[in-house]
Amino acid sequence: MTVDLLEDAELQAHAVPERSAPPIPEASFLNGIGRWKVVSYDGVVQVVEAYVAAAVCGRDAKGVLHTKAGLQRRFALAPLARMSPGARQQLEQRFSDIEPVDADLVEQPARYLEMIESTVRKIRAHVERELAEDAIRDLGDEEWLMLDGRLSRSPANARHPRTLGAIKSHGAQFLEGRGLERALTLPAGHRTSVFLVRGGHTRTEVYSWYLRLWPWEGNDLLYGLLRIEARADPETIRRADALSGWLLAERAPIATPATRWDRLLYPLHHVEEYLNARAPRDLPLHRASARLPRLAS
Amino acid sequence: MTAPPPPIGRVVATELKPSTPHEFHFWTATETPIGIGAIVKVGGGSWEPGAERVVYGVVTEGFAYSDLATPLHDVVGADGDPTNADAPTMRQQIRYWTAAVLRQIPEEPLQPVPLGQVYVADDADVAQALRMDAFLNSATPTAIPVGLYTSAGRDAPVYLDADFLLGPEAAHLNISGVSGLATKTSAVEFLLASIFAHFPAHKGRVAAVCFNVKGPDLCFLDQAGNLSDEDRHRYDRLKVPAEPFKRVQFYAPYKSDGVNLNTLRTHLDLIGDVEPLTWGLQEVVDFAEVLLNRDDIDAKADAFIDFLRDRVLGRTFDDGFGTTHRVTTFADLDRLFRSIFDGLEITAGGRSDTWRTHHIATMRKVRNRLLNISTRCKGLVTDDGPSSDLPWKAFEDRTVYVIDIANVDPLGQDLVFARVVSKLREQLERRELGVDAVVVFVDELNKYAPGDGPDTYVKKMLLDISERGRYLGLVLFGAEQFRSQVHRRVVGNAGTQIFGRMDMDELATPGYQVLSPATKSKLATLPIGELMVRHPHFTQPIFVRFPRPPVLRGRDGVERFPPAEDVPFEDAVVRQLVRLDRRVRPNQVKDLIAEREQDDVRRALAAVRRTRPDDAFAYFRKVLGGRVERDAALRREHEVVPPLNTISDEPY
Repeated sequence: MTVDLLEDAELQAHAVPERSAPPIPEASFLNGIGRWKVVSYDGVVQVVEAYVAAAVCGRDAKGVLHTKAGLQRRFALAPLARMSPGARQQLEQRFSDIEPVDADLVEQPARYLEMIESTVRKIRAHVERELAEDAIRDLGDEEWLMLDGRLSRSPANARHPRTLGAIKSHGAQFLEGRGLERALTLPAGHRTSVFLVRGGHTRTEVYSWYLRLWPWEGNDLLYGLLRIEARADPETIRRADALSGWLLAERAPIATPATRWDRLLYPLHHVEEYLNARAPRDLPLHRASARLPRLAS
Repeated sequence: MTAPPPPIGRVVATELKPSTPHEFHFWTATETPIGIGAIVKVGGGSWEPGAERVVYGVVTEGFAYSDLATPLHDVVGADGDPTNADAPTMRQQIRYWTAAVLRQIPEEPLQPVPLGQVYVADDADVAQALRMDAFLNSATPTAIPVGLYTSAGRDAPVYLDADFLLGPEAAHLNISGVSGLATKTSAVEFLLASIFAHFPAHKGRVAAVCFNVKGPDLCFLDQAGNLSDEDRHRYDRLKVPAEPFKRVQFYAPYKSDGVNLNTLRTHLDLIGDVEPLTWGLQEVVDFAEVLLNRDDIDAKADAFIDFLRDRVLGRTFDDGFGTTHRVTTFADLDRLFRSIFDGLEITAGGRSDTWRTHHIATMRKVRNRLLNISTRCKGLVTDDGPSSDLPWKAFEDRTVYVIDIANVDPLGQDLVFARVVSKLREQLERRELGVDAVVVFVDELNKYAPGDGPDTYVKKMLLDISERGRYLGLVLFGAEQFRSQVHRRVVGNAGTQIFGRMDMDELATPGYQVLSPATKSKLATLPIGELMVRHPHFTQPIFVRFPRPPVLRGRDGVERFPPAEDVPFEDAVVRQLVRLDRRVRPNQVKDLIAEREQDDVRRALAAVRRTRPDDAFAYFRKVLGGRVERDAALRREHEVVPPLNTISDEPY
């Protein structure tokens, strides 16, 4: 993984202009969810039912979000080759959409479920990408599309002049040394210099920078830290301040009661809530759900 | 075929806030036409299970909240600066409503309200929800429009059932509201117009007796008021003619001078329509209880009054001292008493202090109290004049009889009320009044039927009407400012209850506990012309709007028809005679009554009024008679008998 600085000779912290300075652009927001659970067993083979969905919500002039488009998929995941004919037949009768998975990990149930989790996440990313590609075709002339997660998953999305990816999790580090230290200790309301991201999972080059929404002091280094991805274009560098100002303005309303509210922008949270509200009740949000019924609603 | 209207909300039920057979909850879009008091329909077209059941409800409570977990989060989002509070995105928010069930179809089995889509009720739904269909569409409809249901942009007429408003099923109406907004009186005026327009033929004839107890409130019911286009539209919707009452008869007692009427309807253009209300001994003595308080009436006094009533009044009576009396007036009664006292003093030599088993102290006390009535109620009660009264046994259909007692002594008001209501009751019972039902409108029930205080005759009377009037067709329309302070049996027996704008302190009293806080809040801010109605067919209170009454409001009437100044005795006599006969020449009358006793003139005038001769002046001259010197003996008699002791000095 390599990183090229596109702004400044050395990675710097830039104070983002007052949030009232840039006008809030017309925007839509895209987010997705994925849920799964083991629904049956064929010997030690765990058969999983999953649900993934994504939606785009547009924001009107009053600031009210309205759902513009959505995609969903409900399917089973199973290593079909390892299943007995009877169980496979039953599965095929029950689910019209079956995603075959590798049977190598069947005898290691914990790792098998990690693989399932990863597969569902990929399918969710695929649905989000597909929806985003549809959404950018319908964007207004001045309208932006903000995605929850990486922009670089789709070349079409990554090359669009008015798309942004907001990455909350920082599993991959693009910086090192003094640059990394500056990024992780960014003061609130500051961004880093813009850098180029390529390689790794990305199929397309994008420009990126870190932005601190909330003071990290007293919390942890990643608190309130977003990484932004935008089109690989000099215009992006020129607009980095304005775009960062917009994102800072999106801190309010804060996305409570989500636990990741320090990094989760409210409109993206709203889309997630919308999707959760429409998700099947029999597929719980958390795998380790309580086995007793809830007593009050 | 028109498409069904789109739903405006959905029923939601959770474990903490479930649907019940009497209440449900639903949400709507943030922008919604409904509010507190709106009638909604659940089901009827929805695909959801249980939607074949149709439920009507009225919105009683509303909530709005967002997904904000704590206000502190808003502070954090705005960096603690309220000027930063304008976020680019509006939080997700909800309009969440609670509705009380008005009706379920089918009614059995009674079940919790199902989940389903919620619609704004249309005119037909309103009729169904309020169970008006039964009396609106029957072979013998008994619907009386009370106003328009206007919530949620609707304009649906709301009807009361005449069988439950005017008897016999239920009856009486009570209206509460703060004073000064003209709501109570206006509502009753409109409702009377509505009753007169819609009282079903099969129920017979109806009239109204209105006691005007303050200002000029009811003095111009025959004059047209100003109506806006909106008012006229409402009249059209309710099918009530937007015109003043066609038949109104005004009654008012005289002032103490005995010739000027004690009313604010004294403008020269209107005074001719006001009939004097004067009563003599015969009319008053039956209601002596009204005028004598408990301290006055003990068993001995009661027995003596009964004796007078049964054995003396209207009969030829020998006092036992050689004088025969025929007592028909207060003056006759006074002569009888003086004769008895003289007899005991002179004939019996002062040795006896009883007469016909009645002690002289008892007689003195009764004499003082009875004769005092004509003093305290001068103008209403005449010493020796004949009476001028309501047209008993000849009440006319759809006629309002206004009795103006606004400026009468409270004792006189009680007397008027007690006698009029008693006569109404008596004649309705015998079916000889001329109408089958009478609405009696009494304002200020706080004063006449208070929840606490002594049991007055008037209070007992109001209780009696409330509890038994519906069988007779005697219907009480009562109004007051504070319902909580009116006797609960008077209020409780009112089948229909109307509430105008209410005072918050009043709403905090136990009688309003059944109302939701939102409904109370709406009641506390009701605009003029909007009311909350409770009626036996409505399972929940309903808000309606009514048009301004088609008559001139009291204060406008006084401006348009300013009351005339009191005129001198001679001019007042002339005016009354001219009203009876336009040929009467004022100077002739003035010459005739010059230097005559005013009581003689009053008596002659009353005779003319009663007889209504073709030639009023000739008859007046005949009745007045020639000029005769006053009886010297009678004058001496007045001088001989010393004044009686005052009440406070009595040893009794």
